[in-house]
Amino acid sequence: MKIAVLYGTETGNAEMLAEDLAAELEGDHEVVCKNLSAVDPAGFDAATFYILVSSTYGDGDLPASAQPFAKAVEAKAPDLSGIHFAIFGLGDSEYHDTFNGGGEKLAALMTARGAVQVGERVTHDASGPDMAEDLAFPWARAVVETAANLVGEDA
Amino acid sequence: MSRRVAIVGAGPSGCFVAQALLKARPELQVDVLDRLPVPYGLVRYGVAADHQGTKAITRQFSRLFERQGARFFGNVAIGRDLTLEALREAYDAVVIATGLAADRRLGVPGDDLAGVYGAGRITRALYEHPDAEPLPPLGPRPLIVGNGNVAIDLLRLLAKTPGELDGSDLGPGPTAWLAGSGIEEITILGRSPASAARFDAVMLKELVRLGGVSISVEDLGTAETEEGTRTLEALAALRGHGTGARRIRFVFARRPLAVEGAGHVTGLLCAAPDGGEERFAATSILTAIGFDGETATAQSGSAVRMAPGLYGAGWFARGPRGTIPDNRADAQALASLILADLDAMPATGQRGELLACLPGVVTYDGWTRIDAAETATPPPGRCRAKIADRAAMLSLAAGGDQKESH
Ligand SMILES: Cc1cc2nc3c(=O)[nH]c(=O)nc-3n(C[C@H](O)[C@H](O)[C@H](O)COP(=O)(O)OP(=O)(O)OC[C@H]3O[C@@H](n4cnc5c(N)ncnc54)[C@H](O)[C@@H]3O)c2cc1C
Ligand SMILES: Cc1cc2nc3c(=O)[nH]c(=O)nc-3n(C[C@H](O)[C@H](O)[C@H](O)COP(=O)(O)O)c2cc1C
Repeated sequence: MKIAVLYGTETGNAEMLAEDLAAELEGDHEVVCKNLSAVDPAGFDAATFYILVSSTYGDGDLPASAQPFAKAVEAKAPDLSGIHFAIFGLGDSEYHDTFNGGGEKLAALMTARGAVQVGERVTHDASGPDMAEDLAFPWARAVVETAANLVGEDA
Repeated sequence: MSRRVAIVGAGPSGCFVAQALLKARPELQVDVLDRLPVPYGLVRYGVAADHQGTKAITRQFSRLFERQGARFFGNVAIGRDLTLEALREAYDAVVIATGLAADRRLGVPGDDLAGVYGAGRITRALYEHPDAEPLPPLGPRPLIVGNGNVAIDLLRLLAKTPGELDGSDLGPGPTAWLAGSGIEEITILGRSPASAARFDAVMLKELVRLGGVSISVEDLGTAETEEGTRTLEALAALRGHGTGARRIRFVFARRPLAVEGAGHVTGLLCAAPDGGEERFAATSILTAIGFDGETATAQSGSAVRMAPGLYGAGWFARGPRGTIPDNRADAQALASLILADLDAMPATGQRGELLACLPGVVTYDGWTRIDAAETATPPPGRCRAKIADRAAMLSLAAGGDQKESH
């Protein structure tokens, strides 16, 4: 399967995790890893499974590198029906009310344009005991398995 | 022969420059040195003890040394152990990322009175920097001058109940100092109107979770910008919060005129918005109004070339403003500049090792031994027990090396 791991980051944690995920999936799939800042929302392809990784900033907002993407989605309003994605969030439970708001916003942005979310949105807590990859690897294997039956079906 | 880059200062800026260089050119030899035996600069000694999530970026940096091939040389001070000239001789490029650690003075009469302390001095002591001066008594009514995130960090730590520090890496000495502070009221005072205060709204929101305080906010005023509106909303949400014994008082639009007191601080005289003068009683004054020191050039910027093969990064280059994400973006810009310069440079011949043979150098392995000792058995409610003493750090770091060589 073609997989694109796309990340939104400020201090690099999401980028490191995205690269780890890409490396983990590379053996069995055709994987690219990109910063959301370099992604054109009009260029999504139904034959690719998208794994989004995003941290949270400000008041439950998207990190800086995902903001141009969000603006472009809003401005261009691309039709994302037929696109499948999964999303992994990074946050910090110290920021109570807005814990992982970035991942939530990014998922909403995609589904509002018709894209279909695969699997649950899982969140890493920077103040928690887990390593991001320990949560993300099993999650990724599961969503990739589910996606294998969905992606490109009606493309 | 692969190119060699030395980075002076293992704070976030230096580490991010190394990260960006090695990501683009894994074959580069990148050496990161620091005058302390331990890496990570203000991530270890500035980012608040109760913000462990922010400190988690050190996982990226450990990967830099563990997998990306960067080398760490701790306990090497440029200017003390090695001249900058010697370093420039031995490397194709040298990056100065030494930060700016000196507290900016208030700049009014009396700002050198006993009882006036810079935020850097206090935070270094709280977070057990090996060169920190001892924590001074603050008395029942400390006054914080400043409207940035560092001011809020200080306020929050001074205001927290002992239980609210659970999960932090605050050491036993600072913990006892806070618990025994006897603080009754903390005034936090800013020169600008509330709408122009530089604190992040999230930092203010966090204060709503303080259990032992009651908060008053004076002179909210109105905002003209979106950011100002957010700040005012966050401040308005704080106003009247809590019924705890420790009072927190936000005051805005007061320009400090003089620190008052005979021998020791008794208060701060300010110009009030109505044109008159106003006196704020205080048993100590903590200034969180920024940092100072020698910077790269008169004109600061994100990617600074000071001379051929010599660059400035981080706070040293941009001035003492900006968060860790800002420094990361700058570091990436600087790395591109360095790589372009290296490509345009004629090949250099074989050169000997400079850093590895300096006496007392702490390698990355040495740091992992210090780190392991600090995290092995932290006391209850703490995630780390920092070793504050330089000699103890050095002996821990050396321990393994000596064993290995036998
Ligand atoms: C109290 C405080 C709290 C902060 N909290 C946050 C926060 O929560 N979030 C956030 O994003 N930002 C925060 N910041 C800002 C952040 O710390 C800075 O943006 C960042 O640390 C600047 O990085 P730097 O690498 O330029 O400097 P530093 O982190 O200061 O690193 C400089 C390094 O150089 C070393 N060095 C100095 N002189 C020499 C020499 N002669 N030879 C060798 N080595 C030397 C020092 O030991 C140090 O390790 C805070 C700042 C302060 C002061
Ligand atoms: C200023 C600031 C604001 C933050 N705001 C939130 C937030 O509102 N919600 C949340 O879950 N995490 C928040 N975080 C935590 C980050 O999302 C978390 O540290 C993450 O690991 C950063 O990943 P990155 O390096 O990819 O940017 C914030 C962090 C900072 C420094």
